[in-house]
Amino acid sequence: MTDTQWPRYEVFVQERPGRPHQHAGSVHAPDDEIALQNARDVFVRRPECISLWVAPAAAITGVTAQELAERGAAPEAQADGDDHAFEVFAKVEQRGTLIHIGQVAASSAAVALAASRRLADANGALVLWVVPSGRVTRSDEADVAPMFAPASTKAYRDQAFYHVQTALQRMRRSRQP
Amino acid sequence: MNPELRRALAEALLALADDEMILAHRDSEWSGHAPILEEDIAFANIALDEMGHAQLWYRLVAELRDKDPERLPDRLVFRRPASAFRNVRLVELPKGDWAFTIVRQHLFDSIELARLARLAQVGHAPLAQTAAKILNEERYHDRHTRAWMRRLAQGTDESRARIRSALDLAWPKTAQLFLPIPGEERLLEAGVWVGGATLAGAWYAAESGFLGELGLDIEPLPAESEGRDVHTEHLEALLTEMQSVARLEPEAAW
Repeated sequence: MTDTQWPRYEVFVQERPGRPHQHAGSVHAPDDEIALQNARDVFVRRPECISLWVAPAAAITGVTAQELAERGAAPEAQADGDDHAFEVFAKVEQRGTLIHIGQVAASSAAVALAASRRLADANGALVLWVVPSGRVTRSDEADVAPMFAPASTKAYRDQAFYHVQTALQRMRRSRQP
Repeated sequence: MNPELRRALAEALLALADDEMILAHRDSEWSGHAPILEEDIAFANIALDEMGHAQLWYRLVAELRDKDPERLPDRLVFRRPASAFRNVRLVELPKGDWAFTIVRQHLFDSIELARLARLAQVGHAPLAQTAAKILNEERYHDRHTRAWMRRLAQGTDESRARIRSALDLAWPKTAQLFLPIPGEERLLEAGVWVGGATLAGAWYAAESGFLGELGLDIEPLPAESEGRDVHTEHLEALLTEMQSVARLEPEAAW
């Protein structure tokens, strides 16, 4: 079967200043600009967002801690070409999501992963992702008002706005003999 | 503000509110039917935003008429016949295909953006503040619909053909958005309104530039004389559906 979906992008949300960007999920989009807009519409329905990043899933290289440990004994990945920046994301809790833990300079994703181990060990990472910084599309400062601020006045998008639970409990109680 | 001016301003804001409400309803018809899931969510957000803007304007109408701002908006939306609506005909046309939806939304939003930027500066604080608040959201709508305009206009033969015919249908209908609203002169004298005539020139120049970049040629806007009290047959059908639940139980409390 042919996959007719648009390419997948991974979405990272920063909720507050001083907090890392955190993986929120993924969206499909035909290109970077639409990916950022789709990410806003799908993942910023609640007000906690001050910055949004999207990266094509195809540009992300990921490994588990176990794979990383197995590679530990292997020779360091060979450099190929000039260094450029990679963003590093790590999952540090079993039930947690990937968070941005920093940046490394490397000539390839394999070298970036090897270089990330230092950051990862400090964070106790279970899963690591690296993505070339140039492939990450970021919201600008100027986007905060039109893209994210309106969500703060839209309480109806939050499930707590709807008193369905309370109403159901009341209905159940009234049915009890 | 004297009573006559309040009446005139309420009438002008009713026109803005009805535009937003009817467009919101047309947009909401895409819920569950947009081209992909992500766009379904994005466009449902836009529909809800437009409905929220309508509500803000209806509340101001209620305050200007000394009516209850909690109750009047529902009455205006669910109890009026088509002949009492003051929306432009562009927003009542059936939703059509995706290209028409995007073209209409883009044309409407870009004109609205120009109007709101000026309304945010007028000498009536509740109006200026509401305009500034709506403006913030419309900046995002404008960005979203422009992104779609570019991709459809520069996409495939089919998307280009569809956007061309959508533009041919929507373009002449945008002229009505620049017509003066009855009673507008005294609002302009009082410095609490922005006339469509003052927006048309700059908007047309910017819009023909944008469409030109996309390879879409347009004619000058046609002369439009029929006002906001004249509707197509589509409004009646839209209201019959939109008001059907409210009509079942007119005294129901929500």
